[in-house]
Amino acid sequence: MADQRDGTQAARTGGVDVVIAEDSRIQARMLIRRLEEAGHTVRWGETGALALALAKERRPDIIVSDIEMPEMTGYEFCKAAKSDPALKTVPFILLSTLSDPIDIIRGLDSGADNYVTKPYEPDYLLGRMSSLLASPLESADDGSAAMLEVTLQGQKFRVKAGRQQVLNLLVSTFENAVSKNQELVVANQELSVARDGLQKSNEELSTLNAEISRINTHMIRDLKAAAKVQRSLLPADDVEIPSTTIAWRYVPCQSLAGDFLNVFPLDDEHAGLFVVDVSGHGVPSSLMAVTVGRFLTPKVSDQSLLVRQGADGRIAVSRPADVATQLNRLFQADEFSGLYFTLLYGVLHLPTGRFDYCSGGHPALVRVPAGGGDVEFHATESFPIAFVPDVEYEQKTLQLAPGDRLFLYSDGVPEAMDKDRNPYGDDAMAACIAASRAAPIDAGVKGLLEAVETWCQPNGPLDDVSILGVEWRP
Amino acid sequence: MDQFRRIQTGKKGDIHLVQFKDKKILDDNVLDEIRTEVTQLIGKASGPDVLLDFSNVEFMSSAMLGLLGQLHRKISSGHGRLKMCGIRPEILTVFKITNLDKLFSIHKDAPTALATFT
Repeated sequence: MADQRDGTQAARTGGVDVVIAEDSRIQARMLIRRLEEAGHTVRWGETGALALALAKERRPDIIVSDIEMPEMTGYEFCKAAKSDPALKTVPFILLSTLSDPIDIIRGLDSGADNYVTKPYEPDYLLGRMSSLLASPLESADDGSAAMLEVTLQGQKFRVKAGRQQVLNLLVSTFENAVSKNQELVVANQELSVARDGLQKSNEELSTLNAEISRINTHMIRDLKAAAKVQRSLLPADDVEIPSTTIAWRYVPCQSLAGDFLNVFPLDDEHAGLFVVDVSGHGVPSSLMAVTVGRFLTPKVSDQSLLVRQGADGRIAVSRPADVATQLNRLFQADEFSGLYFTLLYGVLHLPTGRFDYCSGGHPALVRVPAGGGDVEFHATESFPIAFVPDVEYEQKTLQLAPGDRLFLYSDGVPEAMDKDRNPYGDDAMAACIAASRAAPIDAGVKGLLEAVETWCQPNGPLDDVSILGVEWRP
Repeated sequence: MDQFRRIQTGKKGDIHLVQFKDKKILDDNVLDEIRTEVTQLIGKASGPDVLLDFSNVEFMSSAMLGLLGQLHRKISSGHGRLKMCGIRPEILTVFKITNLDKLFSIHKDAPTALATFT
C-alpha cells in the first residue's frame, strides 16, 4: 500500500515512508514501533550504508539516522544522501547526543536538516517530522549554498551550507535547547519537592533520635544498676581466708556478663570457690547468673546449697557433687530460654589441703605444683548444668601440697580467639601460668589476663574472661 | 519449599533434614532465628526424626549448644530421634569441652547418619 502513494499523498493522510538508520536493534525496534503506531511505513537499515541502499531503492519521504554506526556514520550517510540528486530534497534528521558543539558543524557540513537530541521523546521526534514534512525542501538548490568559515574550540572549519539548512538547524538546535530547558525546569521542581520531603524526614528522624537517646539513657541506667547487682556475686574486697592467698580477675565482654566467680570461707575449716559460665551474653544470661548466684551463697539460708544448719546447730558444708546435682535439678525447668551453664565448684579443707571439687561441663581445673613439676590439667567428663535431666555429678579430690596453686577459669581464657579465630589454647595458658610460678599469685592471674587480651588484639575478647587463683600455704 | 532464611529443609522418608545455611552461628539474633525456624519446622509433626547438617558451619558459639539441648529434649520427649552430621573438628571441640559429644548422636556425613535411623 505504501508503495502506491508518493510522499505528499502520504503526508496528507498522516502516514509517510520513513527510512531509519540505527545500529542498536533495541532502539531501532522501539523507534519502528512508535513510527508504525503513528501510521508511518518504516524501512530500517542497521548501518548507514544499508539505509542508504534502502533510500536509493525507493525514495522515502523522510530519513531519520543515528550518528555512531559502523561502516558508515550518520554524517557520511547524510552527506551521501544530500549529494544524490534523487534524495537531495528528502528531509534528513540526525539523532545526536549533541555533547560537543562541533557536532553542529559536522551536521551542517553533512547537510542535515534537523537535529533531535538523544535521549528523545518519541512524540517530540514525530512532531519534528511533521513540521519538516509540512514545509518541503525546495527541489532545486536554492542557490544560497556558500562556503562558510567557522572557528570553534580553536579549530577552523569550512562548511558548505544553504540558507534554509542553516535556518532549519538553527531552529532545531534552539528547540532542543528549549526542550532541554523545560526538562531542567521540571527536574528542578521535582528536586525541590524531594528536598522538602527530605527536610520533613530529617525532622522526623531527629524526633526519633531524641526518643532513642531518651530510651538509651534509661537502658544505660538500668544496665548500670544490673551490673551493680552482678558485682555483688563477686568476691568481697576484703575477703581473707586463712592459709591461702587469693587472686582473681573478671572482665565481662559486655556491661552484663554470663560469667561470675567467688571465693569465701564456709566455716572455720573450709573455703568454697567457684567459677560459673552461663551460655550467651547480655541480659538473659546475666539474669540467669544472678539467679544461680543466689543458690551459691555461703550464708546459711533456705536457698544456700553450699551450707546448711545441722541439727546440732553447727554448719554443715555440702559436698560439691551434691551442689552440682541439685543445681541441675533446680534449673531443668528452664525449657524455653535454651540457657545452660558450666560450673567448677570446689571446697578446700584449710588445715589439710584436701580439695574436693565437681565440674559441670566446665574446662579443666589447673594445678601448679609447688615442687616445680609440669602444670596439671584435671578434666572431668560431665555435662553442663541444666542440660540433661537427672544426672548424678561426680566428685573428685586433689591433695594439695603446701605452696600448690589452683587456677579456675571460664572458657573465655582457652577459647579466646585472635583476629584469625585461632584459639589461645590450653598449651599457651599452661606456659603462661608456669612462667609466673615464682611470682606472687596475683601477678600470675594478672599476667594470664594480659596474655589473653594481647592474643585478642585488636578487637579484644568476645567472651567474658574469669580467672580465679588460690595458693594454699598452711 | 525454601521458606526459611537460616535453614534449608528437606525430607527423606519420615526424617526431617535440616541444613544450617550460616557459616557463622555466633550472633544472638542468628541463634534466635534458627531457634524459631527449627521449632516451627519440627513443631508440626509429633515425635519426628531430625537430622541436623552442620557442613556449612565454620564457627559456632557455645550458646548454640543450648538450642541443641532444647531440641534434644523436645524431640526425645516426642519419641523422635535427633542426629547430627557434618561437624568440623574445630566445632566438635565445642561439643567435647562440655562432653556433649557423648550426649548427642554425631555422625560423619548425611548418608552415614541416615543409615543409622533404620
